[in-house]
Amino acid sequence: LSRRGGTGALAQWVLLELQGEVEPRQSGDLARSLLGDLHYTCEGVPVLIVGHHILYGKVVQLEKPFAVLVKQGGAPQPSPVGPHGHYTVTALIKTKLLFKTRPKPIITHVPKKV
Amino acid sequence: SLVIRGEKDEHAVLCSKDKTYDMKIADTSNMLLFVPGCKTPEELNADPASCNIIHSQIAGYSKNYWELRRCRPKLKKLRKLLMEDPYEGPDSQKDQTLAFSKYTTEDLLSLIQASEEEILHQLQVIDACNIEGYWRILDFDYEMKLLNHVTQLIDSESWPLSKVPLCACIEELGSLEPGEMIEHILLSYGRKYVDDAGEVFFEMREDKICRAIAQMLLQNAVKFNLSEFEEVWQQSVPEGMTTRLDQLQGLALVDKSSRPETIFLLKVEDLPEDNQERFNSLFGIREKWTEVDITPYIQDLCAEKQTVGALLTKYARSSMLNGVKVYNSRRPIS
Repeated sequence: LSRRGGTGALAQWVLLELQGEVEPRQSGDLARSLLGDLHYTCEGVPVLIVGHHILYGKVVQLEKPFAVLVKQGGAPQPSPVGPHGHYTVTALIKTKLLFKTRPKPIITHVPKKV
Repeated sequence: SLVIRGEKDEHAVLCSKDKTYDMKIADTSNMLLFVPGCKTPEELNADPASCNIIHSQIAGYSKNYWELRRCRPKLKKLRKLLMEDPYEGPDSQKDQTLAFSKYTTEDLLSLIQASEEEILHQLQVIDACNIEGYWRILDFDYEMKLLNHVTQLIDSESWPLSKVPLCACIEELGSLEPGEMIEHILLSYGRKYVDDAGEVFFEMREDKICRAIAQMLLQNAVKFNLSEFEEVWQQSVPEGMTTRLDQLQGLALVDKSSRPETIFLLKVEDLPEDNQERFNSLFGIREKWTEVDITPYIQDLCAEKQTVGALLTKYARSSMLNGVKVYNSRRPIS
């Protein structure tokens, strides 16, 4: 059962779409790690800096928006007589930042001669 | 509210109040990260004061998501469930203690993969009636018995077919059958209206009555000689009603290739619900179909804004036979 939770307008989230995988720098969890910095140019182009790489993306209005559902309650094994789970619509996503170009390494010091 | 419905062996569907959607999981090789409160360039431009560092947390990520596609409600199961225990009338000899095959509205909502409105509408379409809280479909013989009581009464009272009074029917027939069942049969086979004096009348539906009587005749044999059938059929319907073969669309099929021509029972509701299976079944019954003949048997497969022509293009192959366009299967039928 999906149901709108709470009062007021639904939260609007943004989707960040990256090609490939994101891995933490050292061994460890992604949770609580810093992904990187997000900037926008004057023209509104999103720029993502991850580690020493830079990615250029674009803002895309989703043709089919997403709803974020959070499951609550319900038994671990679904059964016709047991409690039924609820899904609460927590947020809507209408925009995504799509990064599909190859990350470029940021080189700040280029030696003049080897 | 939205509801996800389906048993373990069914594909899940999502239902709103009046629509049904197939649910599919879509995979992507990309990473989708959700960022609550992340601002778009437009939002930042609109609020120049907020040009400091904003710490945002990524709430989570996923590589798959559910996609919804509007689909036809899966209603064949509804009839199947109700046919487990058709209602044979209050005098039925059936063991009334075996109540496990009876379904309330709540039961149906959790078992049928369709929205509530679609389910309630279908219950009306199949002339189901709610008896003591359970939805029941009438046993066909019992249904014909009730219909016969009414048509005999109409005849003996010389009422016009377009003005059959509810009260008088219940009064005259109440000793034979429960009043609710008399009213139910009138609702199933007539159009209810109220006159200026506030009295309830029914305009009897000629096509539906003729069709039911045809079913009654056809269900007793594999097939009938067409001209013999047409004669008996016309004689069997109430005085003042005219039988026509087009009343039997989706119920019976005429075989024009046999000598003499024959007719046999083929009910669309007995055929598979899935598109490909439906076409396989139809082509198994007859190798080549004209569009006129096949349309009543595939009409219900059309999705919103889809035509019969589009279905035929997708699932059949056309050819010409004696100057007439016919359709056959795209693949060999075993």
